[in-house]
Amino acid sequence: MKKIGLTTTVPLEVLMAAGYEPFDLNNLFVTAENHLHYIDIAEQDGFPKSMCAWIKGIYGACIEHDVKEIIAVMEGDCSNTKVLNDILKSKGVLLHPFSFPHSHLIEDLDKEMKRFMKYFDVSDEEVEGVRKQLNRIRKKVKRIDDLSYKKDVVSGFENHLLQLCMSDLDGNPLEYEKLLDDKLLDIESRNPIVKKLRLGYIGVPPMTGDLFDFVETLDSKFMYSEVQREFSFPRFEMATNITEQYYDYTYPYDFDYRIKEIQRQVDLRELDGIIHYTQAFCHKAAEHILLKDQLNIPILNIEGDKLNVLDARTKLRLEAFLDMLSDMKVVTK
Amino acid sequence: MRILGIDLGSREVKIVLQENHVTVFKKKISTMAFYRDFCLYDGKIVVDVNKIGCGPFDRAVSTGYGKNNTDLSQFEAINEIKAHAYGSIFQTKMDDYVLLDIGGQDVKAIKIENRLTVDIELNDRCAASCGRYLENMAQVLEVSLDELSTHFNEPVELNSTCAVFSESELIGKIAEGATTEVLCASVNYSLYKRLKPLLNNFKSKKLVLSGGVAKNEAIQFYLNSDYKEVISLEDPQFNGAIGCCYYGSMFS
Repeated sequence: MKKIGLTTTVPLEVLMAAGYEPFDLNNLFVTAENHLHYIDIAEQDGFPKSMCAWIKGIYGACIEHDVKEIIAVMEGDCSNTKVLNDILKSKGVLLHPFSFPHSHLIEDLDKEMKRFMKYFDVSDEEVEGVRKQLNRIRKKVKRIDDLSYKKDVVSGFENHLLQLCMSDLDGNPLEYEKLLDDKLLDIESRNPIVKKLRLGYIGVPPMTGDLFDFVETLDSKFMYSEVQREFSFPRFEMATNITEQYYDYTYPYDFDYRIKEIQRQVDLRELDGIIHYTQAFCHKAAEHILLKDQLNIPILNIEGDKLNVLDARTKLRLEAFLDMLSDMKVVTK
Repeated sequence: MRILGIDLGSREVKIVLQENHVTVFKKKISTMAFYRDFCLYDGKIVVDVNKIGCGPFDRAVSTGYGKNNTDLSQFEAINEIKAHAYGSIFQTKMDDYVLLDIGGQDVKAIKIENRLTVDIELNDRCAASCGRYLENMAQVLEVSLDELSTHFNEPVELNSTCAVFSESELIGKIAEGATTEVLCASVNYSLYKRLKPLLNNFKSKKLVLSGGVAKNEAIQFYLNSDYKEVISLEDPQFNGAIGCCYYGSMFS
């Protein structure tokens, strides 16, 4: 099967129907034993210090693994991705464009989806066939997410990772489904581990994956991981076709659409506080102004750059914030 | 409910007793005298509360530098970031601001948003930006600390990073004939310049000052150019102890 790199979540169903094996370049970068090597490759080729580590990591991963073709998201991802696409093209990487239209109109997305399907020469039936297969897998991820906030039997890290990997189903849907089946068996037999604080994680997935386990040492647990959950398409059952599924997806669209879903989950999951992660040099850091104003919940913004573990200062900030948040949960007067 | 709060600082121990959120007793004791004359050692430090003279209390909360130093028998220890945050929330009744606490040998900047700590910066390795520096320089200039703190006009640069080297630099300026007023302003300005890097990431409209240096008029004057509003707490030195009382009365 031909491999195709992804820089963000795109309609996997179309690619798989066309006989491709999609793989997420973000995952390839961040799970690498020496992820800094990928950033070095990018900086040696001239990427500035003041640029998002994800972009540089994706570039390094493409070069190191000699990636031949990728899906280039032209609308619905950041402007850094656009220049990354141009540079990769100049290095001989074949770009296949896809857009999440800024208008967020279903007819515009439908037009784009049809173009994308025609480009890969796949029919509606073929795509729906794959969608049905993937929805079976999505249902299992959704079950794990539900258990995380309803039954306290899933760790924040597990839930984060299992949802995150839905961006490419770890390169092999059948094996991933088996992994989920085994996980579910294990999870459903566990005793609950209840932590005092119920946290939500919002923002792009972190470079610092140890965040999830770290907060659990502070009597807290993440019960919601916003973007990771979006990658798994938790509302897939409400979609009657591929266009509707990728229309009801917050990540590439406007802020107002996104914040409504966050507030819904904050209420549903009875969260006590939010950790908002932003990547150094990313425009999304300014969204903290809006999130702080509009979400009706205490919120802490932390920032990651190149390191894939939390630094001492961020740990101290998390400790101080969660310590006071914990006091608030038991106000006596 | 009567809550006893103790803040064990590097130079002084601050003690506050609040009854129903009102301070009814406060006392400062030098740290050395506190451990020597007011404490017994029985595996853990036991405070002789009768000697302190605060009267009976329902709950006691302590804070200060170093976990072992503040772990007093009968007292619940809380970390000093939280104690200072709560003290300032109680004293200002504000929700969003930056708290700058300048103590004898440490400085803390704490960003409060929605009554929660969201960012912290502490001095480490060096105490040249703290109250002790001002005390030493006042001694060199043979002026009182109160006198020193009133001067802020036309400071000259004292460039040394090190507080000890600054003393020789100051003596050099004395020899050049600078007036006492200018020298005092220079000392204050050099402290302000050392604080600046710590505050770089702490942008806010309001700055609240606590700790012994909060009443320093010159520091207030310089900081006024960086913030829309600079507020000195009414009881700046007792802020940590007041925070202990607030914690004790609000949270179980």
